[in-house]
Amino acid sequence: MTAVQRSAPPVRQQDKTRTWVGKSIRRVEDPKFLRGRGGYIADLVRPGMLHAAVLRSPHAHARIVSIDTAAAAALDGVHAVITGAQAVELTEPLPDFGPDPAKLTWRCLAVDKVRYVGEGVAVVVADNRYVAEDALSLIDVDYDPLPAVVDPEQALQDGAPLVHEPMGANLAYERTFDFGDVDGDFAAADVVVRDRLRWHRSGGQPLETVGAIADYDPSTGQLTAHTNSLSFTSYLFMVATTLKMPVNKLDIHPVPAGGSFGSKLFATKPLVLAAMCSKAVGRPVVYLEDRVDNISNCDHHGSDRVYDVELALMRDGTMRSLTIDTIDDYGAYMQFGVGHHGNALAQVTGPYTIGSVRYRVRAALTNKNQQGAYRGFGSEVNNWMIEQMVDKAARELGMDPVQIRRQNFIQPAQFPYFIPTGNVYDSGNYDAVLDQALELGEYDRWRAEQARAREQGRYIGIGLITAQERSVFSATEFWFWFDEPGAPVTSMPESVTLSVDATGGITATLYSGAFWGNSPETMVAQLVAEEFDCEPQDVSISYHGSKGGLPATGPGGSRTTVMLAGAVEGASEKIKAKARRAASELLEADPEDLEWVAGGFQVKGVPQQRKSLADIAIMLHLFKHSFPEDMESGLEESRVYDHPYTTMPSADRKDLGVFYPFMGHACHIPVVEVDIETGQVSFLAYAAVHDCGTLVNPRSLCGHIVGGTAQGIGTALYEEFVYDDEGQLITSSFLDYSIPTAMEVPELRIGHVETPSPYTPHGIKGGGEGGRMMAPAALNVAVNDALAPLGVRVTELPMTPDRLRAAIRGAGAERR
Amino acid sequence: MTDKQEISLTVNGREHTLAVEPRRLLVDVLREDLGLPGTHIGCEHGVCGTCTVLLDGASVRSCITLAVQADGHAVRTVEDLARGPDLHPLQDEFWDKQGLQCGYCTPGMLMRAVEILEQNSDPTPEQVRQQIASNLCRCTGYQYIVEAVVAAAPRLRGEHAWDPTIPTEAKA
Amino acid sequence: MKPPPFHYSSPTSVSDAVALLVEHADEEPRVLAGGQSLVPLMNFRLAQPGFLVDLRRVAGLDAIRHDGETLVIGAMVRQATAEKSPEVALGAPLLAEALHYVAHLPIRNSGTVVGSIAHADPAAELPAVALAMDAEMTAVGPQGERRIPAAEFFQGPFTTSLGADEILTDVRFPHRSGGHAFVEFARTHGNFALVGVAALIGVEDGRISSAAIAVSGLGPTPLRMPAAEQALVGAAPEGVAVSAAVDAGSAGLHPAGDLQGSTATRVDIARAYLRRGIERALDRALDRR
Repeated sequence: MTAVQRSAPPVRQQDKTRTWVGKSIRRVEDPKFLRGRGGYIADLVRPGMLHAAVLRSPHAHARIVSIDTAAAAALDGVHAVITGAQAVELTEPLPDFGPDPAKLTWRCLAVDKVRYVGEGVAVVVADNRYVAEDALSLIDVDYDPLPAVVDPEQALQDGAPLVHEPMGANLAYERTFDFGDVDGDFAAADVVVRDRLRWHRSGGQPLETVGAIADYDPSTGQLTAHTNSLSFTSYLFMVATTLKMPVNKLDIHPVPAGGSFGSKLFATKPLVLAAMCSKAVGRPVVYLEDRVDNISNCDHHGSDRVYDVELALMRDGTMRSLTIDTIDDYGAYMQFGVGHHGNALAQVTGPYTIGSVRYRVRAALTNKNQQGAYRGFGSEVNNWMIEQMVDKAARELGMDPVQIRRQNFIQPAQFPYFIPTGNVYDSGNYDAVLDQALELGEYDRWRAEQARAREQGRYIGIGLITAQERSVFSATEFWFWFDEPGAPVTSMPESVTLSVDATGGITATLYSGAFWGNSPETMVAQLVAEEFDCEPQDVSISYHGSKGGLPATGPGGSRTTVMLAGAVEGASEKIKAKARRAASELLEADPEDLEWVAGGFQVKGVPQQRKSLADIAIMLHLFKHSFPEDMESGLEESRVYDHPYTTMPSADRKDLGVFYPFMGHACHIPVVEVDIETGQVSFLAYAAVHDCGTLVNPRSLCGHIVGGTAQGIGTALYEEFVYDDEGQLITSSFLDYSIPTAMEVPELRIGHVETPSPYTPHGIKGGGEGGRMMAPAALNVAVNDALAPLGVRVTELPMTPDRLRAAIRGAGAERR
Repeated sequence: MTDKQEISLTVNGREHTLAVEPRRLLVDVLREDLGLPGTHIGCEHGVCGTCTVLLDGASVRSCITLAVQADGHAVRTVEDLARGPDLHPLQDEFWDKQGLQCGYCTPGMLMRAVEILEQNSDPTPEQVRQQIASNLCRCTGYQYIVEAVVAAAPRLRGEHAWDPTIPTEAKA
Repeated sequence: MKPPPFHYSSPTSVSDAVALLVEHADEEPRVLAGGQSLVPLMNFRLAQPGFLVDLRRVAGLDAIRHDGETLVIGAMVRQATAEKSPEVALGAPLLAEALHYVAHLPIRNSGTVVGSIAHADPAAELPAVALAMDAEMTAVGPQGERRIPAAEFFQGPFTTSLGADEILTDVRFPHRSGGHAFVEFARTHGNFALVGVAALIGVEDGRISSAAIAVSGLGPTPLRMPAAEQALVGAAPEGVAVSAAVDAGSAGLHPAGDLQGSTATRVDIARAYLRRGIERALDRALDRR
């Protein structure tokens, strides 16, 4: 591979005078949703459309001896029944970024054996979903059950049942990275704090499931699809490969997603199933998961980690080094490899000046649905891990939890700051965030309240954490795991086309399935309005299908706003350059003598000599002969904006390069009370201060902070995909998988610090994931703070009443 | 008698007579037979509230209501809230307060909020929070939904008109 | 998640409804009232009745009335209606309080009081209330009408002594004096409870004169707590008696552990909520809330 080593992009002077960036305008996406006209996948109907339903495995691990589909196929209204074995003839394995796809092969339906409860075994196509489900109950599968492997540590032991026999083991990946002089730093340290931590799996669980409509036209060989998933437009060739068709015959249209939180990221399976069925029956087919499908078979369970961690410190609290040894339970497949740990490595040492780190990761295969993406993509787990260690260190050293953090902070003058892994933190002001949070959260008052409450036998805890919020990933984190990666790609662009019509109206075209609850249209409208001095609501936004579209990646890793801002900025420059030249012709002035003022070009110092964008646009559209020969008609420009700051990893991987450079930061301070008789945790207060660089729409960022925090509360206290010892999924519906209601989520006090990025348009950093990246860590610290008088320290999430009561009983705390 | 049953539904003020299989869920009849896709499906077991509609003015989960059970009754869905270009005050306030992100739970939230404000025209934020806990939202963390419902209350009491020219932060 | 096909009828009288149950006995018929338990089970295809008898058109089943010293709630009385009913608030305040804990209002707007009792979910609120109040179920079958005491009604999880050809037409709650309390522990608001406690305690002349306590979520059916009741009756309404009742009540408990809580945790929570329920009922009996 020929890689050009790139240095840091130029530092920008961030202009502070902005009209629209920074305003909490009402979102331009919302009116259609408020009217119930969202146009979600379930709202789209194609003439002659049929419905698919998937038969799910009831076994965690079993050989498929035989499948009899005759009765199902004979049912009135059924058009096709396709088994896994038949699907092998129709499709290639699914797109997979994981290790060794040749041995660890993932297909749209199970073939010889099932590897988790819920894995698809066959798909039925019928007139409607009712009949399709009737047919599922008529399919007779003869299973030969195999012993299941459920616990990730047991999975790695010799003799454990193998999830994939060709792998020869359930250890799908192992690597130890050494960054800096870990052994030297540990030898020099006064104290080593150790702990073993356990984070169980939860998931995004958007209220809308994943679905796709596929319409195959046998006369042209073209497949037109609508789906609420899929991004990575540049990587759609992988889907075409799975479908055994040329990529230029595949046209995928994005549909608004009713929530994702990561879990609709590149969810290819529903589309492949729908496409396979459409090709088989020659009619449009929709496959839309039901809730049980989504919980058990969405391929987007979150991280599931066991940690053994050591934090080396000096007696004064100075943190020196960190060793992390983690086993991650990936389930039965590994579509994104161990990319989740790349996220962790982007900010592995937190906001602290820790000089070295050792990171060992082992990926275990088990009989569970596989991991995918969930808001934080593994970095939220790392935040939780570090903050538990810092908290434990403070207790062991007898230090104030605020002070130990503050004295280890990277200081403003140290940015851009390279952490031991090689990633850069672009900017930050952690003391400012902490100071604001202590005030907003009334930290001192709550400490006094806590002391009083303890005298009354009440258990109040204050959870203070300070942690990182990385944004805008680059492609390298998908492959720097391997010494000889199969596909060391480096592109993760985002594109925008701006068209100015003959009346001066602006249309922005986006090229990825960008909407899943975030605000891409509002962001673009505000950014375009900022550039052209128009009203945001006057900017029209449309989404281009994949066919003939420009390269795009889509949301994920809190990248959308920054990347769209770069594309809008670039396209705007081009529009303005052409408009400037056109204006110079019309005004008979030198282009250099023109300046952009209030939505048009005018001769410097002569405001009467002026052409508005509309004046210029109508001329460019309709009056070709008013311009030189080489000027094309119309006013439309595109910009493909590549990741602005990526550097290559070193060959020995001692330095992973820059791959997640725009580093936000936050401090969360929840105050909780634990009912020690029942293990119930309730909120007394919650303050959150975030620094995501320059804010575009403060209220929408606040919405993400509150929403992410609510999900973090779920992760910390309520939500877990629980598989029992036999691998049965016992939380397969919302009856057992408990999502927080309004009564479980407190009213947040939110504050902002704005430390602009020196490298992005306007200084924007991403902020879509921050709430969930902080809340689990903060709540665990809070609960441990509450239970400290009992000598109880909880090291496992979610902190259910059962787990808390067991810990309290174990500590011998007496009940009344 | 899996044979279709003839039922009559008054939906958003319009009377419909239609023949439905008795197993058809009300939400499917609204969406598929009557062309009203605003009522969404989230869990199909009555937990999430995404499918909430008003049946004779009372909120129900249309995913665990058979269409035949609504025979002879009046159903109101999100499509009945706006009047032409004019949004319902609750819709205005959800927009203004950003009480939605992905929009999927929004129709159910709005219909539940209509009922909340019909039962209590001047609720406290705490009352709204407790009442709206019937419906799950995975995006917002509920805070701005509560704010929106509280803000809509005086408007529904006719106390002051909404001024769309005042931006949110100026209203605080 | 769509219901399987079934045959359906909506008769206009109880006798017609019973006749349909008899006629379609080999189709695993089920009675449909509000459907808030049954329809979800059908969506999961965990319940696959071949025939559904919908009571919605049967006249006279939606009444709340007093029959002497008894509150009678008809089979089609919605939980939300009962919750708001002054008759219920007066005649069975324990029931009124428990109704607030039944799922969420949109469920209670459809779900019926009698349907929830007939469903006999051991974790549900209303069966425990029926048991604590010594309610009687009115069952109508081909042989006519009979009354089933709550103590004989709940046989196991989702299992009652109601015959397959019988319909519950109402539930009769005798008026009870004294203080009442319904408390429960659920992980999230409106979710199924791990433990519920229904308590009715009377105090006369400075002594506890009567006690009826039933719990949910701690066994295959709602459970009466006779040992706890005995520990209270005759004692002074003080903390000592409450502690004795909690000890006595929880001594025999051995709930099955599950996802939500181990046996030990459920007993812990049961003890905490027994105490809270008894204290609240006592406070109300003494009018010191």
